[in-house]
Amino acid sequence: MIMMKRFVYINDDQVSHELYCDNRISNRKYTILNFLPKNLWEQFSRFMNQYFLLIACLQLWPLITPVNPASTWGPLIFIFSVSATKEAWDDYNRYLSDKKANEKKVWIVKNGIKKQIKAQDIHVGSIIWLRENDEVPCDLVLLGSSDPQGLCYVETAALDGETDLKTRVVSSSCMGIDSELLHKIKGVIECPNPDKDIRRFDANLRLFPPFIDNDVCPLTIKNTILQTCYLRNTEWACGVAPFFSGNETKLGMSRGIPEPKLTAMDAMIDKLTGAIFIFQIVVVMVLGVAGNVWKDTEAKKLWYVEYPHEGPWFELLIIPLRFELLCSIMIPISIKVSLDLVKSLYAKFIDWDEKMVDEETSIASHATNTAISEDLGQVEYILTDKTGTLTENKMIFRRCCINGIFYGNDSGDALKDVELLNSIEAGSPDVIRFLTIMAICNTVIPVQSKSGAILYKAQSQDEDALVHAAAKLYMVFLNRNANILEIKFNSSSIQYELLETLEFTSDRKRMSVVVKDCKNGKIFLLSKGADESILPYAIAGQQTRAFVEAVEHYAQMGLRTLCLAWRELMNDEYREWSLSFKEASSALVDREWRLAEICQRIERDLQVLGVTAIEDRLQDGVPETIETLRKAGINFWMLTGDKQDTAIQIARLCNFISPEPKGQLLMINGKTEDEVRVSLERVLRTMRITTSEPKDVAFVVDGWALEIAVTRYRKAFTELAILSRTAICCRVTPSQKAQLVQLLKSCDYRTLAIGDGGNDVRMIQQADIGVGISGREGLQAARAADYSIGKFRFLRRLILVHGRYSYNRTAFLSQYSFYKSLVICFIQILFSFISGVSGTSLFNSISLMAYNVFYTSVPVLVSVLDKDLTEETVMQHPQILFYCQAGRLLNPSTFAGWFGRSLFHAIVVFTISIHSYAYEKSELEEVSLVALSGCIWLQAFVMTLETNSFTILQHIAIWGNLAAFYVINWIFSTIPSSGMYTIMFRLCREPSYWTAIFLTVAAGMGPIVALKYFRYTYRPSKINTLQQAERLGGPILSLGSIEPQARTIEREVSTLSIAQPKMRNPMYEPLLSDSPNSTRRSFGPGTPFDFFQPQTRLSAGYSRNCKDN
Amino acid sequence: MDSNTPPSSSAAAGSADPSAARRNSKRPKYSRFTQQELPACKPILTPGWVISSFMLVSIVFIPIGVASLLASHNVVEIVDRYDTVCIPESARNDKVNYIQSPGDKTCTRNITVTKHMKKPIYVYYQLDNFYQNHRRYVKSRSDAQLRSNGSADDVSSCEPEDKSNGQPIVPCGLIAWSLFNDTYDFSRNGQQLSLNKKGISWKSDREHKFGKNVFPRNFQNGSLIGGGSLNSSLPLSEQEDLIVWMRTAALPTFRKLYGKIEDDLQANDVIMVTLENRYNTYSFNGKKKLVLSTASWLGGKNDFLGIAYLTVGGLCLFLAMVFTILYLVKPRQLGDPSYLSWNRNPG
Repeated sequence: MIMMKRFVYINDDQVSHELYCDNRISNRKYTILNFLPKNLWEQFSRFMNQYFLLIACLQLWPLITPVNPASTWGPLIFIFSVSATKEAWDDYNRYLSDKKANEKKVWIVKNGIKKQIKAQDIHVGSIIWLRENDEVPCDLVLLGSSDPQGLCYVETAALDGETDLKTRVVSSSCMGIDSELLHKIKGVIECPNPDKDIRRFDANLRLFPPFIDNDVCPLTIKNTILQTCYLRNTEWACGVAPFFSGNETKLGMSRGIPEPKLTAMDAMIDKLTGAIFIFQIVVVMVLGVAGNVWKDTEAKKLWYVEYPHEGPWFELLIIPLRFELLCSIMIPISIKVSLDLVKSLYAKFIDWDEKMVDEETSIASHATNTAISEDLGQVEYILTDKTGTLTENKMIFRRCCINGIFYGNDSGDALKDVELLNSIEAGSPDVIRFLTIMAICNTVIPVQSKSGAILYKAQSQDEDALVHAAAKLYMVFLNRNANILEIKFNSSSIQYELLETLEFTSDRKRMSVVVKDCKNGKIFLLSKGADESILPYAIAGQQTRAFVEAVEHYAQMGLRTLCLAWRELMNDEYREWSLSFKEASSALVDREWRLAEICQRIERDLQVLGVTAIEDRLQDGVPETIETLRKAGINFWMLTGDKQDTAIQIARLCNFISPEPKGQLLMINGKTEDEVRVSLERVLRTMRITTSEPKDVAFVVDGWALEIAVTRYRKAFTELAILSRTAICCRVTPSQKAQLVQLLKSCDYRTLAIGDGGNDVRMIQQADIGVGISGREGLQAARAADYSIGKFRFLRRLILVHGRYSYNRTAFLSQYSFYKSLVICFIQILFSFISGVSGTSLFNSISLMAYNVFYTSVPVLVSVLDKDLTEETVMQHPQILFYCQAGRLLNPSTFAGWFGRSLFHAIVVFTISIHSYAYEKSELEEVSLVALSGCIWLQAFVMTLETNSFTILQHIAIWGNLAAFYVINWIFSTIPSSGMYTIMFRLCREPSYWTAIFLTVAAGMGPIVALKYFRYTYRPSKINTLQQAERLGGPILSLGSIEPQARTIEREVSTLSIAQPKMRNPMYEPLLSDSPNSTRRSFGPGTPFDFFQPQTRLSAGYSRNCKDN
Repeated sequence: MDSNTPPSSSAAAGSADPSAARRNSKRPKYSRFTQQELPACKPILTPGWVISSFMLVSIVFIPIGVASLLASHNVVEIVDRYDTVCIPESARNDKVNYIQSPGDKTCTRNITVTKHMKKPIYVYYQLDNFYQNHRRYVKSRSDAQLRSNGSADDVSSCEPEDKSNGQPIVPCGLIAWSLFNDTYDFSRNGQQLSLNKKGISWKSDREHKFGKNVFPRNFQNGSLIGGGSLNSSLPLSEQEDLIVWMRTAALPTFRKLYGKIEDDLQANDVIMVTLENRYNTYSFNGKKKLVLSTASWLGGKNDFLGIAYLTVGGLCLFLAMVFTILYLVKPRQLGDPSYLSWNRNPG
């Protein structure tokens, strides 16, 4: 490594103390001292807050303030203290959890003596002693373990979410050192600066006398145990520590502050706020100029106003500034708080939703990011992982093909295949060898539980499935004792000595073990791996055609295949090879590459035994979910690391792509740039032709072609991405997944990425919305995601119910907030025309403040309970999501509607108040309260009109608020020093007050109700039609049951393979006469697909182009 | 799936795994609120509802409108504009100069009662184009000073009429300073009509806003005389003209109560008004009017409410008719799924 290095001296406090930090963990954002300034600084970095602060400061100038400064300062301080309190509370909780971790007791060894200290006092270089089930306090390099082989087991669930045990080994130079001596060990570790990669660690260890072994011993991640892991199945272990401590541990480094995500809706609200701000500036300038002109021409004549002849230098500014303050309420100060409140409620609704609780594991859905629920309703693209997301990632051994004989084809389960059982009983050598490889060619650790049953701890689900299947077929892997592998076949015990393990890497795509039969001393190489990495190395002369066919056959069914092979090794050959293997495995340079080369040398001339087929079942409800969401106009892309055939098969099974003749698959392939370009262009041409037809076209691309397409032909590929509703990308890497998300985002699409494993984390973080499935591949994805759900099918509810409602509610709430602020502001502006454009406020400070933060904010909050359509209707007509996707409920034109409404209401209220309270009744305080009452009454009716469903809470909020308005004003009317002393009592006794109020309501609401009724009845939107249908019990179109149908992969797969035996050889036919390369995969209009047809037909006409209508 | 598969590895670590326990406890509690399943009533705008509510509004509003108009018409109101008439012909070229110069400005007006007026008859003065709601004006008062004797120095908000010769003015501010000071005397057939000037202000103002022990001080003794002066021996709570004046008007045209005539006036009675025309509205072209008016349950003469009610009621009736006709001529089934575009062209 050329990077910066650091040296850690083991057991030597003096040196490392000063150099590196201690083990104190701190996740806190603030300290007591810097809380106030830092928090204020953060809050004031937002434009809205700066604006409000400016307004509040201007109000301190009595010459220009129309009202008491408290009317702005009060809400401002309230809002600020709410968010500051929230921050402080979060930070306090972080402090508490840090403190708990920091004060945990750990055993360390100092100068040869064990003692217990607090975790925060651990220093770099001290030796930590761990016992079984201890949590690892910091990153450690293993020096010793109770296991004679120097092994120890750790559970890394907290780190990467994987619950299986991982083995870690003591570094080779410390192997076998007595535990007493370990206390006094001295040495130096040379390591790179801390980073957050939990899969890599390149360092060297050198011990000091008397422990000199060889000069330098390399360390890898295998020699470390990381913070927050648990030590399991190992009596004790000790490690030098903390290798990286405190906030420098791998975990500490990978904790990042997630970048705040901004929803499309927030962006729209910001845009509208900006527009209102500009409008406000224009109004202020116009009124300011008018005010100054009026002052100079008219007000100078008003002797009773006593304008001085010579004003101060800033005289021209006074009137515009007064209007600025009067109009400052145009931007509602309460909108931010209201939005934050309702957003956290949306998130709570997701957390609380019983229908999204995974029944098997009782894991509830969880919204980690509480701020982006509206975006769920606006999703346009869903990028999904395959394994573990669409499928259960619960591997079950289903079929196998041994020496060309297919087992399990009839029953769908090889374990029950009589033929196989018979040949096992008969002791067919190939079958037994096949089973042996299934049982021991792996890294599985059998653990004897207390009840005597054997539990297998496997790192890979495939191995787990194979070992379990072997056990059912009477080949039980009993024990892994040091190097002895013990298996039991029928009732006889067989022992193998494990000589070498050639580990699985994603490049080699196979793993092998070299074992010695303890009975006869024969040495075997047992291999298993992907077909393309086993079959080419078959021994010359062996017919692999049958295996190729088997692999293809299984892949067509969506099964995962592994080829098993073996070879007997001569003693000499093994000895010679094992020397070079050992050498390579201790190489410091290019270790992995050299190992691969050495392995290659022995993994040849393989005797291929057969093919296993493991089923990764589709999760419940996946096809239905995808179909519903596709009908809702959401485009699906599948990004998987799996093979093309398997991917396409799974895609077909879960309604990803429609069958012929509707569906069409276009391949993009090629190894060179030119091939990819030609292929891409052909696909694009086809795509352009077919967009006009109601066809469902999908393209398939593999990782290699994708890389070329994205880097070299980005423009063409982007166009393709826009045209295509469906895509299948196979063999893609995590970074390519993220790249694709980025590509779609750059085209301004709302993307949702869903995945379950560590390889999806980057895509999840990149996407607008990341959804993690808390599945078997661990919690890593769920941890990084904005939403975590238990099963893929909950996505439907998450988007159609929670996303849609959130969008609708926020759309109403935000526009209403502007509407009510504009109403009061327009009244003020209208009043200024009859008060000499001097900037008098019609309303007093108390009314203004209460209007904004109380009278109008509380009722609108209950709109979070509003449902325009029932959940069932939405599920039946997912197309309705289009209104959210296209942003039909919050955009400049709907906002213009609310703007117009506020102007209309302001005129109604103002005209009626000043005319019914004219002449002898024209008293300022009274007119102001009449106008305010008119506003409040109108608000109540507007809320009523715009609410779709009234629960008891809505009634309380709307009518209770109206009552509260009177109660509050009566209270203020009893205080002699308040401006409105007795006014409200006086008004309530006057018939003219009530007649004016009723007139206001009728005149204000009449035209709006009439317009709404007209639109509702004669120009109904789809939402309206569905509302009417649902509430009048009218003829709701039934699309048939949308409940998950009980369908198993079995039935379909078997009908598939029986009815369409030709499917084994995919048919290729040229699409365009001049395009031999561009291929179109035809599925043939087979009967099995009729099943899909009635449902998919409807979705076709509904393409994403709808949006342009 | 096979049920006899050995439990997966994760179960082994079960009890010791803190996250597993946490996950289980996260299962939410059921309540209708958390599931968003609160019973709700979901009204929709059906033709029946909409038409009948428009009908109802018109049925209620038209009678109220008629009643208001009747009430307004039953009010007898006599308005007499005197601002120009009360200036001698010779001085009409320079009214401002006339009004500002000292001297007797008595003026006599004869008003003929058009209709029988029942007592009490309210006497108002009406000012037009007078901006009592001007920001500079409306703020220039000190409520604390008016309320209690101790706060006499509280004149900070009264600029520019806050102090005179360094002494605080009580009552301070532009509003008090510009107090209206025309006076009226009424006589019928040479006989004095008694004008009740008690109780013309709000009781609450007399009792709580204007102190009983606050007496005018330094009032109108600055270099610039505004409006009327006050009797410095009477407490503010008894200076009812001031209390009325200090209730600022919201509109530039307003009436303020001057007194009540506690006597019926017969039709064709001629009332002679002797008025002192002192108040300067001439510099800003303001009008001055004397108003005698009776009152109805809705207050004075004001046709606005009646006309507005009739208009709104009429419009509602019209809309109800239009919607009914539309409904009959072009019935439309609500919730017809054929309006859903995705049902219309399936493919």
